[in-house]
Amino acid sequence: MTKVTYRVILVERDRDMLSRMAGMLKANDAFDLAATFHDADTAYGQSSVFRPTLFLIDVDEPGAVDMVPRFIKSYPQAQILGTMGQWKSTVAEAMLSAGAGGCILKPFNSTDVLEALKIYKRRGQALPTRTLALFSPKGHSGRTTLATVLAIELAQKSGESVGIIDADLQFGDVAMFFDAVPRHNVVEATHDINLLTPAALENYFHPVGKGVWIMSGPLQPEHAELVEANRLIEVVRMAGCLFRYVILDLPVGFNPISLALAECADTDILISMLNSGQEVRHMKRSLKMFHMWDAYGKRVYTMFSGVKNCTDEHKRKLEGELGRSVTLMLPEERRIKDVTGSGRLMKDLPENTPFVEAVADFAFALISDRR
Amino acid sequence: MDATSSIIISVFSTSSGSGKTITAINLAAGLAEEGYRTCLVDLDLQFGDVMGYLDMVSDFTIADAQQAILRNEDKFNVDDYLTEYKCGDTAFSVLPPPREINDAYLINVEAVEKIIGSMKGFNFVVLDLTSVFSTLNLAMLDMSTVINFVGVMDFLPAVKNYKVGYDTLLRFDYEESKICLVENKADSERYIKARDVERLLGTKIYHHLPSDPQAITYSIRMGKPLMYCVPLSPLTQSFWELVGRYTNRTKKSRIASQPAQEKKGKKKLLSWLFGDDDWLTAQNMK
Repeated sequence: MTKVTYRVILVERDRDMLSRMAGMLKANDAFDLAATFHDADTAYGQSSVFRPTLFLIDVDEPGAVDMVPRFIKSYPQAQILGTMGQWKSTVAEAMLSAGAGGCILKPFNSTDVLEALKIYKRRGQALPTRTLALFSPKGHSGRTTLATVLAIELAQKSGESVGIIDADLQFGDVAMFFDAVPRHNVVEATHDINLLTPAALENYFHPVGKGVWIMSGPLQPEHAELVEANRLIEVVRMAGCLFRYVILDLPVGFNPISLALAECADTDILISMLNSGQEVRHMKRSLKMFHMWDAYGKRVYTMFSGVKNCTDEHKRKLEGELGRSVTLMLPEERRIKDVTGSGRLMKDLPENTPFVEAVADFAFALISDRR
Repeated sequence: MDATSSIIISVFSTSSGSGKTITAINLAAGLAEEGYRTCLVDLDLQFGDVMGYLDMVSDFTIADAQQAILRNEDKFNVDDYLTEYKCGDTAFSVLPPPREINDAYLINVEAVEKIIGSMKGFNFVVLDLTSVFSTLNLAMLDMSTVINFVGVMDFLPAVKNYKVGYDTLLRFDYEESKICLVENKADSERYIKARDVERLLGTKIYHHLPSDPQAITYSIRMGKPLMYCVPLSPLTQSFWELVGRYTNRTKKSRIASQPAQEKKGKKKLLSWLFGDDDWLTAQNMK
C-alpha cells in the first residue's frame, strides 16, 4: 500500500475542472485531498484546520500569484504548485520568485503532480533561477570550458541542479567535454517547446552526473537554421523550472541567437582568451553592446582566460585598458584541456588547480548572491 | 602580371583560433611578394583582426564600399575603398571590416558579392572568413576558386568540428578538389596524429603548417607578415610552400627567376630591417 504523503488543498475556479482533478487525486493513495476551494483568498483563510502539506493553486486566477508569499508564511510546512491551463513562462517565473515550487499544466493526473514535486525538489531552493549567458567576441576563448567547469562547481557547492544549454548551434562542444551522446538536442527542444511542460522538457536534457544536465547542440551545422531565437528563449525560461542555475554557452560574436539569449539572461559573462593582444579591443567593442543592459541592472562580468601572469598588477593593467573591472583572470591550465579534450571533465576535474579554484570562488559568490 | 579574372582563395575554418587570419595575411603577403596583384578582404565583420595584426589604420571600410556600390554600381571603383599595406617593394591591398559592430549588421551579402566580383583587376583575392556556415560565408565559398580549410588537430572537439565542417562542405556540393585541407600547428609530438585525422576524413591533408607561436606573436607585435620579420621560421617557409602550391611556382623557382641584382636589393632591404645576416627566427629572437 502506498504511504499517504501529501495532504492536498486544491484551488480551482472552474467547477468541472475542480471536480475532474479532485477525482484524480482521490484515486491515488499518495494524496489525501483535504479540501477544495474556488479561490485562493478563501483557501488562504480556511486551510489551517486541514494542516495541508501541498497546495495546488489555480494561477490563472488574477491575483493568485501575489498571494503565494502569504501562503508560504502561514503554511511553512506546505509545498505550493501553481496550476495553469496553458504554459506561461512569466507566471511560472513569478511563482518561483514568490517562493513556490513551480507550476504544472491542468488537467493533470496524479503522476504529473508527483513528477513535478520530484523535479522541484531536485531543482533546489524555491528561489528564482539564475540564468548565466557566456559570450565571447571571438572563438577559442575558453567559453565552453568555463561554462562546464562553472556548472560542476555550482552543482557541487550548492547541492542544487544545473543545466547547460549548448547554444553554439553549429559547432558546440559541450557534449564532447562530458563524453556524452545525448538522445535529443536543442533543435528538437525548440521545435517542440510549445507542447512541452517542464517534466517533458527534462527528457531533452542529458544527465552527466553530480547534478549537471546538458542540452546538446544540433548534429549538423545546417540544423542551426531551424532554431528560432524566441522559441529558444522559451526553452531557457522553462529550463529555469528544472534547474536552479541555467548556463547558456552562446555562439561566437553577435548574432540573433547570442543577442536574444544574452538579453534574456540575468547575468552576462564576457570571456576572451589573452593571446594576440587584440582581446581587450574586442572586449571593449563587445561591452558597448552590453552597456545598455548593464545600466538596467543586469549583471555583466568580464573575464580573461589564458592569463600567463595572474597578478593584481596585471589585473589593474587590464582594467585600465578596458575601463572597467575585470571579474576573473583564469590562468592557462594544460590539465583542463586534457580532460575536456578527452571527455573526462566530470570524472577527472583537477580540483586543486588555480583555474578550477578561481571558477569555484566565482561559483561560491554566485551561490551566496554576491555576484 | 595582368589580371582578367581573380583567383579567390577563401580562408575558412570551423573552429575559432585555428589561425585563419594569420594564414590569410601570410598568403596575401606571399602572393604579393611573388609579384601578383593581391587583395586581402577581412570578412570577420564584427571582430576582424587583419588591421590590428598589420598595424594599419584606414579611412574606408567595406561599409563605405557597400554604400557606394549600392548607390551607383556603374561608377563604383573598389580601389577607392582599399588601403595599401606596404613593406619594402611589396604591397598588397586590404579591404577592412566596418569600424563599428552596428555597421557590421548592415552589411548585405549581395553587396559583398558585387564588391568581390568587382575585384577583377587583382590576380588573387584572399578572403578571411569567420568560423561559421553563415549566409555571407557560404556566398563567399561559392565564389571562391579554392577553399583553404584550416584546422588545428590538437584537441578532440576541434577535430570533430573539422570533420563536421568538411562533411558539411561536401554535403553542400563543394567539389573535393576545391577544398584544400590545411593543418595548422602541425606537430609530430601531438597525440592526435595527422594520419588518423586523414583516415577520419577519408582524404589527404593538402598542406601542414608547423607550430611556431613565438614567430606569430612576434609578427603581430611587429605588425608585419612573417616573411618580413621571421623569414627563417619553419612556419614562414611553410607559408612559402603553400603560396607555391597556389601559384604553381616553388620557392626555388621564385628565387631562380629573380635577377641577381633584384635579389641583392631585397637582401639589402631586409638587412636594413634586421641587421646584416641576423634574420630573426623564433629561436633567436628572444
